[in-house]
Amino acid sequence: MARLIRTEKEVEGRFEEVWIVVEEDPLEQWPEGPLAVVGRPAPRQDGHQRVRGEARYTADIRLPGMLHAAVLRSTYAHAKVQRIDLAPALALPGVRAAIGPGEAHGLVEEAGFAGAPVAAVAADTFAQARAAIEAIEMEWEELEVVLDPDAAVRRELLTAEPRSYERGDVERALAEADVVVEATYRTQTVLHNSLETHQAICEWQGDMLHVYISTQYIWGVRQAVAETLGLPEDKVRVVCEFMGGGFGSKNGPDEYTYVAAELAKRTGRPVRCALTRREENTSAGNRNATIQRLRGGARSDGTIVALDGEFTNSVGWSGWNASTEGPMRMLYDCENVRTVTYGAQLNTPPMKAFRAPGFVEGTFGLECLVDELAARLDVDPLELRRRNYASSNEGTPYSSKNLEECYRRAEPHWERRHEVRTRSDAVWKRGVGMASQIWYGGGGPPSYAWVRLGSDGRATVITAMQDIGTGTRTAMAQIAAEELGVPLGQVDVVLGDSARGAYASISAGSSTLPSMGPAVRAAAADAREQVEDIAEQRGMPKDTPLEEIVAVLEESQILGKGARGPNPAGMSVLTFGVHVVEVAVDVETGEVQVERVAAIHDVGRIINPLGASSQVEGGIIQGIGHTLSEERLLDPETGGVLTSSLDAYRMPTIADVPEIVCEFVDRPDEHLTNLGSKGLGEPPIVPIAAAIANAIRDATGADVHQLPISREEMLRALREADERARVSEKEKRGAPAAV
Amino acid sequence: MSEFHLTVNGGEHAVDAPVGTSLAHVLREDLGLTGTKIACNEGHCGACTVQIDGVPRLSCITLAHTVDGEVTTIEGLREHPLVESFVRADAVQCGYCTPGQVVSAAALVAATPQPTREEIRHAMAGNICRCGTYPKIEEAILSWQG
Amino acid sequence: MELLRPSSVEELDGGILLHGGTEVVPLLREGLLTADRLVDIREVVPRGIHDGTIGAGTTLAELEVEPAIPDALREACRLAASPQLRNMSSLGGNLLQATRCWYWRLGYRCRLQGGDRCHAREGEHREHAIFANGFCASAHPSDVAAALVALGGRLRTNRRELAVEELYRLPDEADRSTTTLESGELLLEVELPAVEASTYLKATDRKRWSFPQVGVAAARHADGSTRIALAGVAPIPWRIESVEDLDAATPLPRTEWKVPLARALVRRALAALA
Repeated sequence: MARLIRTEKEVEGRFEEVWIVVEEDPLEQWPEGPLAVVGRPAPRQDGHQRVRGEARYTADIRLPGMLHAAVLRSTYAHAKVQRIDLAPALALPGVRAAIGPGEAHGLVEEAGFAGAPVAAVAADTFAQARAAIEAIEMEWEELEVVLDPDAAVRRELLTAEPRSYERGDVERALAEADVVVEATYRTQTVLHNSLETHQAICEWQGDMLHVYISTQYIWGVRQAVAETLGLPEDKVRVVCEFMGGGFGSKNGPDEYTYVAAELAKRTGRPVRCALTRREENTSAGNRNATIQRLRGGARSDGTIVALDGEFTNSVGWSGWNASTEGPMRMLYDCENVRTVTYGAQLNTPPMKAFRAPGFVEGTFGLECLVDELAARLDVDPLELRRRNYASSNEGTPYSSKNLEECYRRAEPHWERRHEVRTRSDAVWKRGVGMASQIWYGGGGPPSYAWVRLGSDGRATVITAMQDIGTGTRTAMAQIAAEELGVPLGQVDVVLGDSARGAYASISAGSSTLPSMGPAVRAAAADAREQVEDIAEQRGMPKDTPLEEIVAVLEESQILGKGARGPNPAGMSVLTFGVHVVEVAVDVETGEVQVERVAAIHDVGRIINPLGASSQVEGGIIQGIGHTLSEERLLDPETGGVLTSSLDAYRMPTIADVPEIVCEFVDRPDEHLTNLGSKGLGEPPIVPIAAAIANAIRDATGADVHQLPISREEMLRALREADERARVSEKEKRGAPAAV
Repeated sequence: MSEFHLTVNGGEHAVDAPVGTSLAHVLREDLGLTGTKIACNEGHCGACTVQIDGVPRLSCITLAHTVDGEVTTIEGLREHPLVESFVRADAVQCGYCTPGQVVSAAALVAATPQPTREEIRHAMAGNICRCGTYPKIEEAILSWQG
Repeated sequence: MELLRPSSVEELDGGILLHGGTEVVPLLREGLLTADRLVDIREVVPRGIHDGTIGAGTTLAELEVEPAIPDALREACRLAASPQLRNMSSLGGNLLQATRCWYWRLGYRCRLQGGDRCHAREGEHREHAIFANGFCASAHPSDVAAALVALGGRLRTNRRELAVEELYRLPDEADRSTTTLESGELLLEVELPAVEASTYLKATDRKRWSFPQVGVAAARHADGSTRIALAGVAPIPWRIESVEDLDAATPLPRTEWKVPLARALVRRALAALA
């Protein structure tokens, strides 16, 4: 029986209440541990296609008569279009259409950042479109440019109301604390740099708009495009079978899709609008910079009594105010917590969600602060975390939390620190650090799947989801195979086309597996039950192989359908983990080498341990990038991006990879869906920067307060540590002899 | 426009494209070989890696008219044992960098059939993977059977 | 645009010279270079090593594995760029590459472009120079150039012979060029004297595929002298006589960090030679 209920849905740490239709989900979770297919390593179903270069990404799609669009972007950080003349562009060879501000959603008259899209041209070739862009005549009125986040906050230039939170009495607790640490942490602007740039191809067929797009959210694009263009949603088809990375930056249609749609309408031909790498690094979103002014107070017994944070997010011209304060609020059992979070509106490219937005930055500040407290208290950092373990989320029970188990499994890695330190010499100092991870990952409704069985006993899981490279396609096949009781090789998964399937969740916020997985299982269970009915009618025993039962079907098929049920009411669904990192620091040159990372994650039941380990390694390596070498830089005068090419914006290569040891607690969350699985896309990137910084402190005594930990920052921190040591030596010597 | 000939994956092609066109563009647009990906178009990421006479080069900054020698793209390596090795080792996530990785790896193992980790890291440092698949790529090359 | 492929130096007649293309092609595409004529000089420039002379058309990949060249040069090649780029780039091209200064690369009308300001000095300069940075704060990116200067290499062009360091000049008001190469002049060969020992140390942020934050080349010559040359610290490869010369550095506020880094690397390079 279908029921309409209201439930809470979380994506990327943002919550909304939604209505959903649920069927009762009578499925019991599978027992813990590897099963016949689920819980066993499975190579990717689409692995050969990707490896051989046969996978067709949006960048590879060619439609007959397709035109290419180029976008004119503001070079001013803040300016208004006074005059625009498209005629010179239209006069150039190959140019088929040109549009200006307001003629497609996202083409603006007031450019709020250098890189803001203003006009666009469609031409036979991309080179012609680029040449046409150069020919457009523009006059601008320059406006005031604000680049400094503290200045923006002072002037109340904010993208939203400041977000405040308080529990207990922070000032009193700090006053009574035995130890107080106060520090400012800064994190930089980080660029996603998916290898396939943002792009879409739009083609009108009659009144139907077909959108081929590199996206993390087929259904979100469908909804947004339909709403923006005033179309019924059924008149928008969105296709994305393979996409080359998103990391949170491809959650919606953005201006290039609307540009392509409008130019396609005007020309009557398909239009591709693809960002160049330079545009990708200026205009396609970023993990915003943060300034975190933190205080922590503790008693000498190791109880953290107060945590106080003022967080300034450099949101940019638009965007949302990420929960940088989240870890401070949620990670530890601290009675007195106060946070205020400002979203500074600046004339810089808008932020976009990037793999655990807010929590990556906030975990760096918090977990470094905690270790600074540990050092002052002379308490072991692991011990300090255990002593302040939260057994509920501010009173709300967790659906499951195995962080203590993560800590227990971290012990042998943590124990290595004694031996690691002994391998220090005059130049290279070695140490070990750790950091805890908390994040979301419960997914939510709705999501739907169908399972189609034919007389050959092969099952097709029909979905309209996307696999952004995380291997969720394979996990869905495993889930269906397990439920149907067939080998993995007998199951195919169809995805990537909104015309061929029902609503599927976004692939962001670590949502795909916990949202789609239960729907797939329910669909497979529905199909299985029908098969069992047939077996009974045919007088066959229940354990007859499925292909024998259905062999009689001929053209008939069995169609199972399933939907994602609600999340457990009154519970917090969160993921947990811990990283233990070994580093070596060259104290003369400031070089930091990450030598080993042990990552232990609690994300409920693991469907595919092979794919899961790749997620963990990938998140760690991406995190090493933002910890050591990546930074988007702006020209302070013009607000223009300086690091728009990949020689300047340096991401890790294979040579930067440490030894990575990956462990999963792998205990199903018994309250969460018929799978008990949470998402793993984001957890591995959350604690790595803090763990590296803490390892550096262990190795050298230096406190790094800034990301990236460039040589400049490392040398600064080493000098400061030296100075501290000199001062305390002097004080010791100067103190009167008294014991 | 200027006509020239290319040998790609053992086959001869006549191409007509303006001087200045990159080899990557010709492969993808004129010859329909979209396995070679363009991710930065300026020689900073390695996604466009092809072999010319077995030597890995960046096709996005190679002018098509200056190509001497035989071009091998990922399409020409589809039967290479490294493909199985990559799939088995899960050395692929979003897959956009993967063709370039395989092309570089194939050149490495042709010169050094059993490379050490050090040699792998040195030879593969010109292929960026944003998804961070590197450990699995290293395993794939260490464990290939050919 | 036309593409010519002469077979001898005599046939050269204007145009932009092209060898591996790793610098020229991206610059053309970005509009930082414009050309009606490209001249592929791969037939014209010698390639390979014989009798201690290295053809300017030799690739960095070939030099990376060549036992018969000094350690500093081999190491500079090994640590330069990426494998694919080393396969494509020539020794000559590497010496002539332009700065990585983002203002220059993005087409800001800076002093090197004929303008009247150095945007880096006033703006974002954390990867820039610590010497000779008053007019232009750009840093020279070539590892190979520093190695050849320390090794005392001599260049032969189609017009003259000169020490490698004479290939470079600091830009000034009258002439914004950082090389002394004349129009129509091309590098043909490098000759290296025998050295007793040499080394190249390179500091980068990510381990591979990075231009030098600071690169130190040092060589002990047969006459007992030691030559030291740095990459990444000045608009051209920068010779110093001793580690004390670093005390005369004139860092910008955000390049100060390069001074202690350079000191440490110079000390280590000298210790490696001893």
